[in-house]
Amino acid sequence: MAIQSPNPVVRLRDVHKAYGSGAGRTPVLRGVSLEVQSGEVVALVGQSGSGKSTLLNIVGGLDDADSGGVEVLGVDYAVARDAALSRLRNERIGFVFQFFNLLDHMDCLANVILPASFARETRGGPRGAIERGRAVLDRVGLTELAHRRPSELSGGQKQRVAIARALFHSPELLLCDEPTGNLDTDTGREVIELFTDINRKDGVTLLIVTHEERVSSTAGRVIRISDGCILDGDGQAEARAEERSA
Amino acid sequence: MMSPGRLARLVGHNAIRNRRHFALSAFGIVVGIAAFIFFLALSMGVRGWVLELFPIDQVEVIAPRTSLIGSLGMESQADLNDAVAAKIREHDGVRAVVPRMSIAFPALGVWWYQDTKLKFDVVGDGINPTYLADEPQGALFRDYEAEEKGKPAVQCGPAPKLFCPDLNYCDTRNNTCHHRVPMLVSRKLVEIYNTQFAKSRGLPVIGAMEEFIVQRGGLSKMRLHLDLGATMIEATTSTLRGPPRRIEGVLLGISDKAIPIGVTVPIGYVERWNREYLGDEAASTYSSIVVQLDGKDQVGPFASWVEKQLGLRLQDSQGQQFATVIFVVTLFFLLISFCIVTISAINIAHNFFMQVSERRREIGLLRALGASQADIRGVFLGEAALIGLVAGVVGMGAAVATGTAVNLLARQFLPDLPFQPASFFAFEWWILAGGLVFSVLFCLLGGFLPARKAARMAPAQALAQQ
Repeated sequence: MAIQSPNPVVRLRDVHKAYGSGAGRTPVLRGVSLEVQSGEVVALVGQSGSGKSTLLNIVGGLDDADSGGVEVLGVDYAVARDAALSRLRNERIGFVFQFFNLLDHMDCLANVILPASFARETRGGPRGAIERGRAVLDRVGLTELAHRRPSELSGGQKQRVAIARALFHSPELLLCDEPTGNLDTDTGREVIELFTDINRKDGVTLLIVTHEERVSSTAGRVIRISDGCILDGDGQAEARAEERSA
Repeated sequence: MMSPGRLARLVGHNAIRNRRHFALSAFGIVVGIAAFIFFLALSMGVRGWVLELFPIDQVEVIAPRTSLIGSLGMESQADLNDAVAAKIREHDGVRAVVPRMSIAFPALGVWWYQDTKLKFDVVGDGINPTYLADEPQGALFRDYEAEEKGKPAVQCGPAPKLFCPDLNYCDTRNNTCHHRVPMLVSRKLVEIYNTQFAKSRGLPVIGAMEEFIVQRGGLSKMRLHLDLGATMIEATTSTLRGPPRRIEGVLLGISDKAIPIGVTVPIGYVERWNREYLGDEAASTYSSIVVQLDGKDQVGPFASWVEKQLGLRLQDSQGQQFATVIFVVTLFFLLISFCIVTISAINIAHNFFMQVSERRREIGLLRALGASQADIRGVFLGEAALIGLVAGVVGMGAAVATGTAVNLLARQFLPDLPFQPASFFAFEWWILAGGLVFSVLFCLLGGFLPARKAARMAPAQALAQQ
């Protein structure tokens, strides 16, 4: 169990989320409460459809909770407006996706500096953005591929470009959704090592959604989700959540 | 909100990537804007040309028809004199007053042209030379006879054989030299000559008057005889007070201010001739008074005042009639252009809705990277505006190119007539700018709903698209 802190990076309190309406309404998250401290590496594991990706999206402000409290990096999502949430995502949160989500009409460097397009202010202007873009590409070991199109890269290289993009604004929180799900074993291991390095050197908090044991084994804490509830250490859903849903 | 520079870069990237979609969306707008600019420029060009021929801020005051004389197609001129002209001059909104006086007695014209002796009864009038001050012939259109008064006469005649200087003629009554009477004709008269007279008699048509004068050998060869008090119609000169006499005139050129059918000379000559052949009353009664108003809006109130206060009326303005016809035709074509652009805007909306659907994942990604709803809206509206801008510029170019081609074809295939304008189009800056604004505006309108849909898309669901 993580140490309780007055200012955790992520704080979820009794979060509920359901999709659909009426008789077709399907609950995805059922009273999830969670805290992630600064510098932690947390793995969210569970079966497909257990709600782990939804949880990650809610933490990233990409989806809204139906009820409950969400506070990330001191920003209360209940009161934050779209502009404030966008700024949070742009400047303090990085995303890494399973399918990389690179824009194929741009080269790697342009993909990496894409977040600069939405920044309120960019240090050093466009030139500064390019310099920083090259620096993060260097960090992931892809300097020489800066002007290649994503379609010309291997899966591992694509994911490294995506990680470089996530690191562009030096985020405090990195949200990764199945980051190795589309990679072979060796490439997946390299990506995991990269995450470990980012966490150790930069102190970036990582919240990783995965169903792979090799990823969760590197995490400082593993949170298991089943049917929209967080399971305790014995594999039982938290009593509080069960009581509430009852 | 993104800075304009970053937005432009992102929009530019997307435009290059989606070239085909952009071209398809822009096509209808190009056609619509080209039609809009083409027809508006055509209408403005033709309107300007027509109003140059028939200015609508210029009216002609005439005496009302009397029932008996009116039925014979003649007009009473009893009420148009200096007192009336003075009253009109004092009226609000009147900029200039120019009386016209008809040659009220018979006169016979004789002109040697292409070895053919042309004889014709002359219809003509006189106007104040100051009215033509701004025209090319203005400097030569003067009352020379009045200027010669008090100066020693230059003698001429057959015995002893004495010749007059260039552009002068010998008055055989007293063997003295006089400057030829300057004369102007209207474009309409030349047009009638070209299309009716010249054709039926195998004579050459007259194109540009200046060239025609040079071909003839200069102004000294542009002379014609005028037999005052003579006519080809028998028994119509019995009431004239003076005997027929011959004077010489010089045809200076074409003027839109000349009488439509006939010749126009400085009014001083007509006053003296009318006094000589008909008496003082004919020398002080005008056939009409041309009134230049401050603007076309003044025409209505002025017409009402003329009718009620002076018992006179305005000559029907052809310019007004033409302007109305042109306005209606322009409106019709603009309506067509408007329909084309509207349909194109709907097409753009349709294309953009498809784009929003196809680019869901990209929209989700941009949102994840920090794009706000306003940024996403801006990207899509920016793309729509770019389509509008490019389509507007291409449409503008297409309209100007088509207009130039039409002008070239007209110059090549239409006969070189005096009525033909240099260009049928007036590509004014405000028409081009209006076309561009119109284009961008309609594209923005077409892109508005898709942009709103894209902005409101839930990022997580957008990212989940396979």
